[in-house]
Amino acid sequence: MNHAPENHYDALVVGGGIAGLQAALDLAEQGFRVAVVEEDASVGGKMIRLSKVFPTLDCASCITTPKMAAAAHHPRISLLTYSRLAGLERAGGGFAARIERKARFVDEDQCIGCRQCEYACPVLLPDADQGGFAARKAIYIPFGNAIPQVALREEENCTFCGKCEKVCPTGAVDLLQQPQEISLTAEAVVLATGFRLMTDYPNRAYGPAARQPNLITSLQMERLLAPHGPYMRVLRPSDGKEPDSVAFIQCAGSRDLNLGVPYCSRVCCMYAIKQAMLLSGALPLADLTVYYLDIRAFGKNYEQFFQNAKAMGVEFVKAKPVVVGSTAEGAVRLRYEDQEGGGGGQEREHDLVVMSLAVLPAAELDPTGLGVGLGADGFLGSVSPKLAPPLTDQEGVFAAGTALGPKDIVDTIVEAGAAASQAAAYLAARRAAGRAAA
Amino acid sequence: MHATAQQPKVLILASEACAYPGANAVGQAHQAYSDHAYILRAPSPALFPPQFYLDCLDQGFAGIIIMSCGVECPYEGAYQVLAQRVDQAYQLMKTRGLDLRRLRLTAICTVCNRAFLNEVNQMTRLADEIGPARDAETAQAA
Amino acid sequence: MSQDRPNNHPEPKVGVYVCHCGGNISDQVDVEQVARQAAGLPGVTAARHYSFMCSDPGQQMILEDLTSGRVDRVVVASCAPALHETTFREVLRRAGLNPYLYEHANIREQVSWVHHGPGATAKATALVAAATAKARELAPLMPIRVAATRHATVIGGGVAGLTAALDLAARGVEVALVETTPFLGGNLALLDRTFPTNEAAADLLTGLARRVLAQERISLYTCARLTGFSGYVGDFHLSLSQAPPRDDETLERLARFGEPGPECQPFRGVLPVAPPNAERRIELNTGAVVLATGFRHYQPPEGEYGYRQSSRVLTLPEFIALMAAIPAGQPLAFEGSPVASLALVHCVGSRQIPGIHEPPPGRELNQHCSRVCCTASLQAAGEARERFPETTIYELYRDIRSYGRGHEDYYLKASRSGVVFARFNPEDPPRVEADDSGDNPLKVTVKDTILAGEELELGVDLVVLAVGMEPGPVAELTQLMKLPQGADGFLQEVHPKLRPVELASGGLFLAGTCQAPMDVGEAASAAAAAAVKAAGLVTRGQVELEPFVATVDLARCDGCGDCVAACLREGALTLIETAAGQKARVEPALCLGCGVCVAACPAEAIQVAGWSLPQFRAMVQAIAQSGAEQGGQA
Ligand SMILES: Cc1cc2nc3c(=O)[nH]c(=O)nc-3n(C[C@H](O)[C@H](O)[C@H](O)COP(=O)(O)OP(=O)(O)OC[C@H]3O[C@@H](n4cnc5c(N)ncnc54)[C@H](O)[C@@H]3O)c2cc1C
Ligand SMILES: Cc1cc2nc3c(=O)[nH]c(=O)nc-3n(C[C@H](O)[C@H](O)[C@H](O)COP(=O)(O)OP(=O)(O)OC[C@H]3O[C@@H](n4cnc5c(N)ncnc54)[C@H](O)[C@@H]3O)c2cc1C
Ligand code: SF4
Repeated sequence: MNHAPENHYDALVVGGGIAGLQAALDLAEQGFRVAVVEEDASVGGKMIRLSKVFPTLDCASCITTPKMAAAAHHPRISLLTYSRLAGLERAGGGFAARIERKARFVDEDQCIGCRQCEYACPVLLPDADQGGFAARKAIYIPFGNAIPQVALREEENCTFCGKCEKVCPTGAVDLLQQPQEISLTAEAVVLATGFRLMTDYPNRAYGPAARQPNLITSLQMERLLAPHGPYMRVLRPSDGKEPDSVAFIQCAGSRDLNLGVPYCSRVCCMYAIKQAMLLSGALPLADLTVYYLDIRAFGKNYEQFFQNAKAMGVEFVKAKPVVVGSTAEGAVRLRYEDQEGGGGGQEREHDLVVMSLAVLPAAELDPTGLGVGLGADGFLGSVSPKLAPPLTDQEGVFAAGTALGPKDIVDTIVEAGAAASQAAAYLAARRAAGRAAA
Repeated sequence: MHATAQQPKVLILASEACAYPGANAVGQAHQAYSDHAYILRAPSPALFPPQFYLDCLDQGFAGIIIMSCGVECPYEGAYQVLAQRVDQAYQLMKTRGLDLRRLRLTAICTVCNRAFLNEVNQMTRLADEIGPARDAETAQAA
Repeated sequence: MSQDRPNNHPEPKVGVYVCHCGGNISDQVDVEQVARQAAGLPGVTAARHYSFMCSDPGQQMILEDLTSGRVDRVVVASCAPALHETTFREVLRRAGLNPYLYEHANIREQVSWVHHGPGATAKATALVAAATAKARELAPLMPIRVAATRHATVIGGGVAGLTAALDLAARGVEVALVETTPFLGGNLALLDRTFPTNEAAADLLTGLARRVLAQERISLYTCARLTGFSGYVGDFHLSLSQAPPRDDETLERLARFGEPGPECQPFRGVLPVAPPNAERRIELNTGAVVLATGFRHYQPPEGEYGYRQSSRVLTLPEFIALMAAIPAGQPLAFEGSPVASLALVHCVGSRQIPGIHEPPPGRELNQHCSRVCCTASLQAAGEARERFPETTIYELYRDIRSYGRGHEDYYLKASRSGVVFARFNPEDPPRVEADDSGDNPLKVTVKDTILAGEELELGVDLVVLAVGMEPGPVAELTQLMKLPQGADGFLQEVHPKLRPVELASGGLFLAGTCQAPMDVGEAASAAAAAAVKAAGLVTRGQVELEPFVATVDLARCDGCGDCVAACLREGALTLIETAAGQKARVEPALCLGCGVCVAACPAEAIQVAGWSLPQFRAMVQAIAQSGAEQGGQA
């Protein structure tokens, strides 16, 4: 894998989720040289953290790792992880980028991914990559199939005991490592900065009732369901008990004008159904309920997937519940109006409740600072939504995946291919023009 | 015979796309299993003729686990063929009076750590219990 | 590719290199002992161990042994092959040797990280012995190179086909664009304004058609159909037959066009070139094929929601055309009489459930959701309320699936403009009847689940059926090209997640609604994604494929054909006549490398290169005997 970047690329891809990786691979296969800048310590984005994926139910890791590895081993792709785009300017018809490589405190070229440092580290912290349900160390490799398999040290919680430095067999730990700034130039930019979830939804919607351990987010549920998840099985966070009843609250933040998100988040119906199906395998006796407004199973084979879930006994209730409290046994109490049950408020308790949170634009949507236009929904804007969705209003800047609005993996991968196609055509036209001028 | 001098061995034929990386995931998690289980990778275990499994047993392996990708097999249709071949192998084993538990067809994915360990532990336990096929046979023939 | 049997070579010289992985391996495995044991194996001419084999000094160590001629094939025992197999193959290449003379022993993930004590060393020793045994059997392999014609063919001239052709041409690829009708534009031409931008469909198509006609690299074949197909990735042969249009509908539509050109006539499409006036056959050599054959509107059988029983039951596309024909400012009217109210029924011909719905004779149920009809209905309803405020509109739905960017706005707009929504269960679909007694010609009865199952009786002047999408007429194509179809009849991609625009056969791609329902933006993106993949193949001049394919030992093959029968891939294995009689022949470009044929051959005359049965036997034997030779437990 190439850790040391060159200083010129044909294309710079911002974001190393599945959209960024696919765009990079498609561009590299056209003969272009590509740098991928990823803020996180590993590429893979949200997808590598999912359990299994609808509608095929194949394991997310099994289908993400090949793409991650293909990008990592590609001779024309450089992956710059744990790096952020600090600035971008137009220069000579192309772009000049400043990239900040955050300090890992571990030398990427020397680390062999053996985790000796991790075993030696005495500090225990909640592991965000496991939904916060498991612990990790202050120096650690992000997760089993992270790429690169290189450790990083988190500065805030490190006690500077120096154990990691001592055990590292290659002397890769460098407690004094400084962030590095590197400059590179590129002729086209692909923005694939992805999405984030509306994690403040429970507080905004439920107030103090939101603070209870068995009310979890959909991404946390993905971790509970993952075969290599925190408990290796589905347990309730508060007491480690197997839940007897699990409920999903759909449109938690989406399609809600009051919360400023009028749009549909597009993936939550399907992943809630998926999670319910996976739960019915893991907990065959549990009652599973999906509270929904409309079931939007619109993709290829999605409707059939939904009908299967119904046939398997997953209960679908047309309602938008509010979390009102908890029981002494730790169950989450919901209040709702069953739209099909003749109206009237009802209350029900579930051992575990999953919020299908709204999909929001990435924190830093336009990391280029060029002023790329945004859509009314806050995601990056397209100037040709009908014929070429990846085109932004900035020449040479393309976008793909959830950076352009919520979408599932298939639609993300397809759109990333489209972004690569348009960027490739742009690069080819520039070259032809350059040759003509010369 | 020399094979009796050691613990009986188990052979695992793992598909390159799923089960082999799955075994590596078990390694990354440092989850121990018997060191008498040996893993060989193959593009698809459908390439082995039924007789191959019997030859392995004759070589002294006490058990064989075929770890395929199952229905997620990258070669469309190969899993069905594999299942047929394994059936044929069972027929051959029956005619030879071999314990059918010595051969097992499973599907293991890249992160099926628990399933992997279950399969390996069961087979190595069985191997310890009934020993290499060759010895069993020799005993029968004698 | 090389068929050399290793036995014809001078005795192979294997170098074995055992990695400590800085303690990761050496803390559990006695690496020195593993190397010592390896040194005693037949064929081993060097056996070393080192702290980090993957490091520069480690690689250098191997390189020196190779360049000095001490070894000519390599075994490295280290971490999982996924991490460094390519690294060490590269060392062989650097030394000027064939990179496939390499075998990996995984003694970290599968030994030191899962076993402890002497057993770990014993297993590592056995795995090294197995790798060495295989290494002795290795033959050099050459990657399979197939020359690729810098030409691609796009079948279907709707928005997906046009986009794919343009994107391919922009990458410097010559393109043949094949369309069965005389027109371009496909189903998009039958729409008025498109959600979510409200752009006129005709404007979108005129823009595309202009670019297509101006693009020198695109050759257009209208009124053409595929009649022959052979070859493989990089080198397909296509036969087309062009014929003057004969059916009345097409002739009538043609009569409305003047000079051909890129201008799109609303609801008719683009007539880019004059249709041929004589039959013609065309032969094409092409490197890749993009399928963009689109969809067909579901045609309700007579009687479904009163269709064809009453002329006042229309499909949504018919209703869109009806609205477009009404001059601005005029009220909505049908057959001369005003439309005071209408009911729009969703999911007609979509989301059908076995046990509830009956398939029409000779057809399958459409279990899929057609994805676009919800938003198209909301758009039509909202527009109707805006233009014809005196018309009451009922929208009868199962779920409102306005999922996409900007789609929800149509839902909001329709709700705010006073469209009346009622939700029905598939078990209890609305009933459409002629209503002789009432004020309106039609009566729709629906059980609205939102009102706890209250039955509503709606008197309406029109019923509009939001008909879904069905796969286009591709029976002929799927037969000729052996295209896989899903249970829903749409063309089936090789993997919905990893490779959503590719078919299982190399060089064939999918664009647009021939794969599944999509809106225009999604179809265009799929087309662009297909184009970039196809361009990646054909612009390099050759396609390089992995060498791990079946190879036939002609001396052993007796031409029985069992392998051909077993083969999973049409055309990968064939029987040919040779001077020595009938023999099996592998087409490497088509072979999947799965090895299903290997087990089928009674003579063991066919093997997968790099994974041959003799190699597996050598490994099995080495493991079985390891430990025994050392006199038991190490
Ligand atoms: C709970 C849940 C379950 C899901 N389940 C499924 C499923 O089963 N099937 C399915 O098809 N889809 C599913 N999805 C949707 C799926 O996760 C997305 O379609 C997919 O991950 C989108 O990929 P992306 O690359 O666009 O975005 P992301 O995965 O968000 O990747 C964006 C990447 O960009 C990086 N980045 C962001 N900003 C910057 C910056 N300024 N500089 C550098 N890097 C940056 C981020 O760190 C991240 O790695 C699910 C989503 C959720 C929330
Ligand atoms: C009622 C309705 C309303 C819609 N409204 C909108 C909207 O407002 N906005 C939006 O974005 N989308 C809308 N859509 C979706 C839109 O129509 C499709 O996304 C789009 O037309 C798909 O284009 P395509 O190229 O994939 O297929 P098509 O348009 O079906 O084109 C396929 C082409 O291939 C040709 N062909 C077929 N078979 C062969 C063959 N064997 N050989 C050669 N040529 C062949 C056909 O003649 C045709 O020209 C709507 C759909 C419906 C049903
Ligand atoms: S898009 Fe809406 S109307 Fe069309 S099939 Fe799907 S749910 Fe029914």
